[in-house]
Amino acid sequence: MRQRFETLIDALLPVIATLAALAVGALMLLALKVNPIEAYAALWDGAFGSTNALAETLVKATPLLLVALGICISFRGDVINIGGEGQMIIGAVLATWVGLTFTGLPGWLVITLAMVAGFTGGAVWGGVPGVLKAYFNVNEILSTVMMNAIAVQLMNFLLRGPMIDPSQAQLASKIPQTARLEDAFHLARLAPTRLHLGALIAVILAILVYILLWRTTLGFRIRAVGQSPFASRYAGIKVPRYMVLALLLSGAFAGLAGAVQVYGVNYRMITDGSASGFTGSAGFNGIVAALFGQLHPLWSIPASILFGALLVGANSMQRMVQVPSALITVLNGLVVVFVVSSEIWRRRRQRRRMAAAPEAESPSKPDQAQVRKEAKS
Amino acid sequence: MNQETLLVGLAGVLAAAAPIIFAVVGETLSERAGVINLSMNGTILLTAMSGFAVAYTTDSIFLGFLAGMLIGALVALVVAFASITLKQSQVAIGFVLALTCRDLAYFLGNPFMGVSGPRLQAMPISGLNDIPVLGPLFFRQEMSTYISYLAIFLAWLWIYRTRPGLMLQGIGEKPAAAYIRGANVNLMRYVYTVIGGALIGLAGPTYSLGVRAGWMGTISGLDGIGWIALSITIFGGWNPARAAFGAYLFAFLQWLGLVLQPVLTQVPSQVLQVAPFPLMILTLLLVNIGNTEWVDRTLAAMPESARKFTAKVLRAMRASPPAALGVPFERD
Repeated sequence: MRQRFETLIDALLPVIATLAALAVGALMLLALKVNPIEAYAALWDGAFGSTNALAETLVKATPLLLVALGICISFRGDVINIGGEGQMIIGAVLATWVGLTFTGLPGWLVITLAMVAGFTGGAVWGGVPGVLKAYFNVNEILSTVMMNAIAVQLMNFLLRGPMIDPSQAQLASKIPQTARLEDAFHLARLAPTRLHLGALIAVILAILVYILLWRTTLGFRIRAVGQSPFASRYAGIKVPRYMVLALLLSGAFAGLAGAVQVYGVNYRMITDGSASGFTGSAGFNGIVAALFGQLHPLWSIPASILFGALLVGANSMQRMVQVPSALITVLNGLVVVFVVSSEIWRRRRQRRRMAAAPEAESPSKPDQAQVRKEAKS
Repeated sequence: MNQETLLVGLAGVLAAAAPIIFAVVGETLSERAGVINLSMNGTILLTAMSGFAVAYTTDSIFLGFLAGMLIGALVALVVAFASITLKQSQVAIGFVLALTCRDLAYFLGNPFMGVSGPRLQAMPISGLNDIPVLGPLFFRQEMSTYISYLAIFLAWLWIYRTRPGLMLQGIGEKPAAAYIRGANVNLMRYVYTVIGGALIGLAGPTYSLGVRAGWMGTISGLDGIGWIALSITIFGGWNPARAAFGAYLFAFLQWLGLVLQPVLTQVPSQVLQVAPFPLMILTLLLVNIGNTEWVDRTLAAMPESARKFTAKVLRAMRASPPAALGVPFERD
């Protein structure tokens, strides 16, 4: 009985952690002399209050989920991919190029090609740091960040020059944007809202990534390399190859997120000079969502929806009760910190439970502490 | 280009490198103790904004710098608490802080956007500034640049020439051994992370009160500096002197890009803007290539004379991180 209760608590920990973070947020709201109940009501209303609000939340959650799936793969392989922003941009650039070049082809074909292009673009942009990490020992956190900067400038160059909207090229304003994609190439809407097919694609991919990680040899090897590169090598796994694959796949999903953003939401690329101007920081927030989902592809679905809701709700909170939306970034951070620390707490309790097991549990069960001791000796 | 403008340009390079040096030396101290402070990019933005804001409201540049140091130390304290006491992933907490601090800076800095406020004035050191070439190069700088010279020297002296510095190396390399030698590993990690954070916190005000005076929000062009400083820390092999060399090199390359822009008009401006990043990747590659296995294997297959030379070159470039970097310390 007691054990069941403890398992229940373990399962609920992320929820408890979120509530704790919201409580801290409420204190900060009080400090800003804002009624926290009113503020959170506005947040909830903005994120889930109407069909449109809900659709908007899911639209925001889609790129987060796609990036998070890639992060699940790379972090499980113990390679840290901070290059989601750049990978999204490159994926989007390639996908946009496909849509603007092959105008004569049928819509479904162009969309498929564009998604493949986005996937490939992201894979290349993630693969380069992967090769640098696996074969040249270059820290992937830094190289992916640098690749972000390169991608941003590449986008700025392309959208101001070779890929600029022909109608803008003639105007004096020269807004750095591409031409709009043909209507036939837009991802189908799922309801009379802005919700598009990309959301469905993301959920299907989440299931596929789950299968990849836990039901295939490739996934097993990526995880094995992440858990212990030395043991993996001893077992005959070519460690560098799987490091590259982990980063490459991770980048590919981010690239796909970029392509989906263009074909499902914006229908063109436009830049304000910064990365977040295009990505909306999804490349970074996806990492947060994946961490919140405990690096599990399926748990990343609700995690992405939660952060999508926080982002959408933050805007309405800002409008309704004049709360800085930057507070939401702080809240996001708090949620992750609380969840990660609750994970530590869970592990510590588990260890204590194991240590106490010999007296408390029935002797018929294998005593794990004992087994471990025997394995050591 | 005559000698005069060249000297002014190079002196500008020294000044432009000062904030990067603060950040790099701070990060070096922190990482030497075994704690990665990944929040640097956000910290620099936040301290740039708050340093300017404080200096503007109080009309005291000193208080601006002090505020930067305090905030830098505070962010580092959060990193230290999460990673040392709560034993969480340093990468996760640092990364979240990097984003949070950046957004906080942009949001809280709104009222100070584009306001003209106080800034550091050049402080020629009398006597030294009249030396030909060296005078205008080194001794007609702002206060912050002089302090950056001092920071490099003191950090180097501390790490390599003092007893506590030796202990610091031990804490990062073999914390268990340092513990047996009587060091309070976790306390020392706290201390160095916070001191390192305070130094990183100097970088922001050095920008907003000196090198790029004022606060311009998202167009300040400061976003990304922290990540560059992180890679310079690695390039520097956790040695303050070598890291400082990296910072000067980076500032020099940036200046070169600016100087070359009017000359190379057919090259798109983005190429020169982006050039430092592939160059940094290349330097990271050169620094790390000596640590890879296949290079060892290739070396072994080389003829004797070529091998000796190549090995020497690789060893000169190579740097290895402190062995316990990012690993929490537990006594048992």
